[in-house]
Amino acid sequence: MLLEEISEGDCLVVGLQETRLDAVIATSFRDALVERIDQGHRNIVLDLSQVGFMDSSGLGAVVYVMKHLGHKGRLHICGLTPAVMAVLKLTRMDRVLKTFESRQAAIAA
Amino acid sequence: MTSKLKLNGHPDRRSLQNAVDYHLEVTLAKGVDNANPADYQMALALAIREPVIRAMNATEARVREAGAKQIHYLSMEFLIGRLLANTLRNLGLYDVCAEVAADMGMSLADVLETECDPALGNGGLGRLAACFLDSLASLSYPGYGYGINYQYGLFRQTFMNGFQREQPDNWAVHGTPWHIERRDQSSMIPIYGRVEAELDIDGQYNPHWLDWNSLIGVPADIPVVGYGGRCVNFLRLYTARAPAEFDMGIFNAGDYLRAMERQVAVETVSKVLYPSDSAEAGRELRFIQEYFFVACAMRDIFRRHAGAGHRLDDFGRYNAIQLNDTHPALAVVELMRILVDEHSVGWDAAWEITRDTTAYTNHTLLPEALERWPASLFERVLPRHLEIVYEINRRFLGEVASRHPGDDARLQRMSIVQEHPCKEIRMAHLAIVGSHSVNGVAQMHSELVKKQLVPDFYELWPDRFNNKTNGVTPRRWLLNCNHRLATLISEALGSGWIADLSQLARLEPLAADGEFRRAFREVKLRNKADLARRMRAATGVLTDPATLFDVQIKRIHEYKRQLLNALHIVHLYCRLTEDGWALPAPQTFIFSGKAAPGYALAKLVIKLVNSIARVVNADPRVNRSLRVVFYPDYKVSVAEIIVPAADLSEQISTAGYEASGTGNMKLAMNGALTIGTLDGANVEIARDVGAENIYIFGLTAQQVIERRLTGNAAREAYESNPDIRRVLARLTDGTFCPEDHTLFVPVVQALLDHGDYYMHLSDFADYAAKHERASRDFCDVEKWTARSIINVARSAHFSSDRTIQEYAAEIWGLRQVV
Repeated sequence: MLLEEISEGDCLVVGLQETRLDAVIATSFRDALVERIDQGHRNIVLDLSQVGFMDSSGLGAVVYVMKHLGHKGRLHICGLTPAVMAVLKLTRMDRVLKTFESRQAAIAA
Repeated sequence: MTSKLKLNGHPDRRSLQNAVDYHLEVTLAKGVDNANPADYQMALALAIREPVIRAMNATEARVREAGAKQIHYLSMEFLIGRLLANTLRNLGLYDVCAEVAADMGMSLADVLETECDPALGNGGLGRLAACFLDSLASLSYPGYGYGINYQYGLFRQTFMNGFQREQPDNWAVHGTPWHIERRDQSSMIPIYGRVEAELDIDGQYNPHWLDWNSLIGVPADIPVVGYGGRCVNFLRLYTARAPAEFDMGIFNAGDYLRAMERQVAVETVSKVLYPSDSAEAGRELRFIQEYFFVACAMRDIFRRHAGAGHRLDDFGRYNAIQLNDTHPALAVVELMRILVDEHSVGWDAAWEITRDTTAYTNHTLLPEALERWPASLFERVLPRHLEIVYEINRRFLGEVASRHPGDDARLQRMSIVQEHPCKEIRMAHLAIVGSHSVNGVAQMHSELVKKQLVPDFYELWPDRFNNKTNGVTPRRWLLNCNHRLATLISEALGSGWIADLSQLARLEPLAADGEFRRAFREVKLRNKADLARRMRAATGVLTDPATLFDVQIKRIHEYKRQLLNALHIVHLYCRLTEDGWALPAPQTFIFSGKAAPGYALAKLVIKLVNSIARVVNADPRVNRSLRVVFYPDYKVSVAEIIVPAADLSEQISTAGYEASGTGNMKLAMNGALTIGTLDGANVEIARDVGAENIYIFGLTAQQVIERRLTGNAAREAYESNPDIRRVLARLTDGTFCPEDHTLFVPVVQALLDHGDYYMHLSDFADYAAKHERASRDFCDVEKWTARSIINVARSAHFSSDRTIQEYAAEIWGLRQVV
């Protein structure tokens, strides 16, 4: 699993460099994000613009990260492809996760 | 050499030949000289496919440009039959193709015979859906079918010692040129998982559907060519696949077996068509099948709606969805889920859209055929959907309670959720509540739906209920399957009747024309000779085309009463061998039909008919006047041979049980006289052809109910009728099964000890009397032919074009796009 990480001020931008967020990488993806949170990152932007497919395991990983962060910080998600957005709508997670069209908008929000 | 073939202006022989040669040599890599009929059939289909696809694309563009409303016909079954011959007829290319085939030293008929016959349905319901698609396209309505691309259709039937044996029917194993796979339009379909109750960012209740598994629905389109070739719609069938790259991920992780197991499990969803009447019909896989194709269809309809630039709140303005029976009733819930969960539409607005869009066709009055799914299964497979069902039901029961305060019994009767003895979801109730229209499929059936099946719902919403009597397409069921008769009619009337069956009325005066009657009789005789040859090849039984061909072709079921037919043949056999009686007209009794693999009594009836056939056909005392044939492996292509050759059509269901029937219509349209009960569409056939041109017998639906209440109807008939006693004695005295006298005891027990629920014995005497009259009438060949012609001339009401026009005007609000 390949992650791109860039710091923008107090914001950690994590770009998943994979085309699929599914059972194959869900656990390692989740653990990597949890590790960043435990390292003290509280303002995270997750860029999923490379991800064309997300299954329930992948979604479960994102939800886990969100819950792990809880009220201590914020998780903004950007670059949602239509297929990933469809999964969020299907599960009504689009009403829980804070999503943005672009990386800049997610950082600025 | 080129494959370019154009339909407009009708291709000449040379360009058609070039296109066929191209596909033989380039696509199929066969030399023109060593191609066999199957190769030629494939090459011809591929040649025709090209302009058909162009016409399909043009049709879609016209519909889009017109901004027209579309009908989406959801059905678990589409019994489409072979496609090439029908397509050539509808395109007007049959004759030129016959010339091209002849140039290659082949008969087009032999070539067409090599095409597989997709058995993607059980019977009438699936064939109706296919006839509707033909009529929609022929009438230039934007109408599309949605279903499942079963790898294995209904089983292939063989006989072993007279017993039915079921073989798998891998119908597309050699490939089909008619499937256009649309991988780019695949849909991800979630199943299983759980719902977690959470709040959204605004603090509103926001249930999350989590931990689901996913199926991928891959569509393949089959072009539906309307008569004349201008309008080409499509039937979209879905195949279930595992998410391929997901499996590749597991494969790369070294767990090849797990990846393959998952792939096999997922692909099982579109593997096999469930036989109706099956004891296994409660299985989880069937439920998943129903959701799978409904969910695929809904995603596709939403995608196309959005692609056309329409607004979501105009969904019902541009789309109509017809539920062919309750199998697609989950569409109501899926539509609500998509609107509420995925598009954040408020419940009331979503419900209005859903109800405005959806309409439901009821096909059965049999309580055991009304689907109910255990709530536990529902919750396991579709947890979010069950929540939505409960909410629909809560609001619906609130509406009922406000109209009938304190009437708890009514609430229990009408609830979508049956609480006792176990919690189940009543799919018919769901379909009725979620639809703006509920229709039966024949006048009598629609009345029974209102008054017997769901009277509470009729009382609540009387305007919602209506009738749409079934029909059959005259293109397949007259023009194509009986081209001799079609030609004779066209010579007399011109060809306008093919697109407007009401013109057949002009045939009626010709019933008085001796020359026309002679020609009509000649056509029937040649059709019977064709069938006799096919029956001999299939069963080894010799039959005489000059005898009265009596035909009963349909699914084997107690209510359809093949057993009554069989008992009557035994009766004739007894009269001929024991009473010294002579049949007025020699008769050949022809059966064809399949019994569900788990339906023991129906399978025993098949064995009984085969046993009777073996004895009768081998008995020199009777076999010149009586023959019995069970034509194996009934399917559309078998019906297409039998229907044109029938003299007498057996439509003998217990009154009140056959919703409509469509075989009755096909046979009447091809000039068979009907012997039948006042059941289903027989009532309307009798009305149209006139009492003097049909043999009606037996109890009415009301009389069946009353007689059943006496509790001893079967015994009474048995005690009072020596013919019945003799027939039943022969079933158990070894006459028809000398190696095992007890074999048919369960049949006799069903009649005598278990109350003869379907009234075989009560109707026997009248049935036998009407048969005897038909046999005498058949001897007057001129009069019989005249009545046969009148049956054809008065069959216009039974065209599916008429049915579709009624649906379009009264339910769908659809207009033609020409």
